[in-house]
Amino acid sequence: MTISEVAEKVNGTIAIDKPGATVNFAYASDLLSDVMGHCGDESVLITIQNHLNTIAVCTLAGIEIIVICHNRPVPDDMAEAARREEVAIVTTPMSQFEASVALSSLPPSTK
Amino acid sequence: MSPGEIVGRALAAGMGGIAITDHNSAMNAPAMAAMARRAGLACLFGMEVQTAEETHTLALFDTVEQALEMTEWVYAAMPKRVNDPDTFGDQPILSVEGDGDEIVDLEWRILAMGCRRTIPETAAKTHELGGLYIAAHIDRPNYSVVSALGSIPSAPDGTPYFDAVEFSRTANADEWMPRAEGYAVTRSSDAHNLDDVAKVWTEADIERFTVADLKRAFAYRLTKPSPRLTRF
Repeated sequence: MTISEVAEKVNGTIAIDKPGATVNFAYASDLLSDVMGHCGDESVLITIQNHLNTIAVCTLAGIEIIVICHNRPVPDDMAEAARREEVAIVTTPMSQFEASVALSSLPPSTK
Repeated sequence: MSPGEIVGRALAAGMGGIAITDHNSAMNAPAMAAMARRAGLACLFGMEVQTAEETHTLALFDTVEQALEMTEWVYAAMPKRVNDPDTFGDQPILSVEGDGDEIVDLEWRILAMGCRRTIPETAAKTHELGGLYIAAHIDRPNYSVVSALGSIPSAPDGTPYFDAVEFSRTANADEWMPRAEGYAVTRSSDAHNLDDVAKVWTEADIERFTVADLKRAFAYRLTKPSPRLTRF
């Protein structure tokens, strides 16, 4: 699934683009230790964790796209790190459950 | 920033005592203790424990030995994952000898992640070791007990886990005092670089800068956070 398709399905906005970003799996969690333990690469992460450490975890786990729920803003330091580490960010007005349902055609991400 | 530089900055700013709290580790407490002792600055040793709930909590102790025992307990519940310096930076452990700015080792564990200890477990361990347990930067939107759990947790029988709560350097006291739920309030710099050291502080009417005296000051709510840091 391409980044444009992800954004379209969650009725969201691409905050940080990464042209050509595609994902094959999805994971939803707000506990970054849980993401580290269970989310594999080529994934989209659905979360409300709108801060710098999320990018670090995505870099380590190989997560390509973050979907930030409830239209939480992307802070400057997070945006800067996302550009540097080439992690795309989509913001959506949806809740984590709604976004998960919207992306349910993707199989669950595992390690 | 090295222990010597931190001590110098704190003394220049007129601090009566400081506490050093690296993330999930007190491995630099020995170097810090050596520098503080030499300069005659009171210092508490501890760490910012990132609990299983992904909250930041401060464990503070009088001695390096207590802080290192706490570190061992936290390390035993850390992910066995090697730090990636490109993502999280190096994690140097500094020398006790000299000016405390010589790197003698690099911590291999990924200290930026949380440990598997919960708030109740961490509170019990901190108190068992004779330390103070403080809810860190409760006003922050991430990694605070309030942002993660909605309020400041206490045991089912009402016993508090925390001895005090901390405001960040920018917290608006008018807005956040009611959210402190009657706990003693501190404010500290949470300095991650030298320029931030001693920019904010906490006043307390105590004889000595020790866990026992601070505990008493907290119990009687005798602490006063400094004005917040504002950038106009």
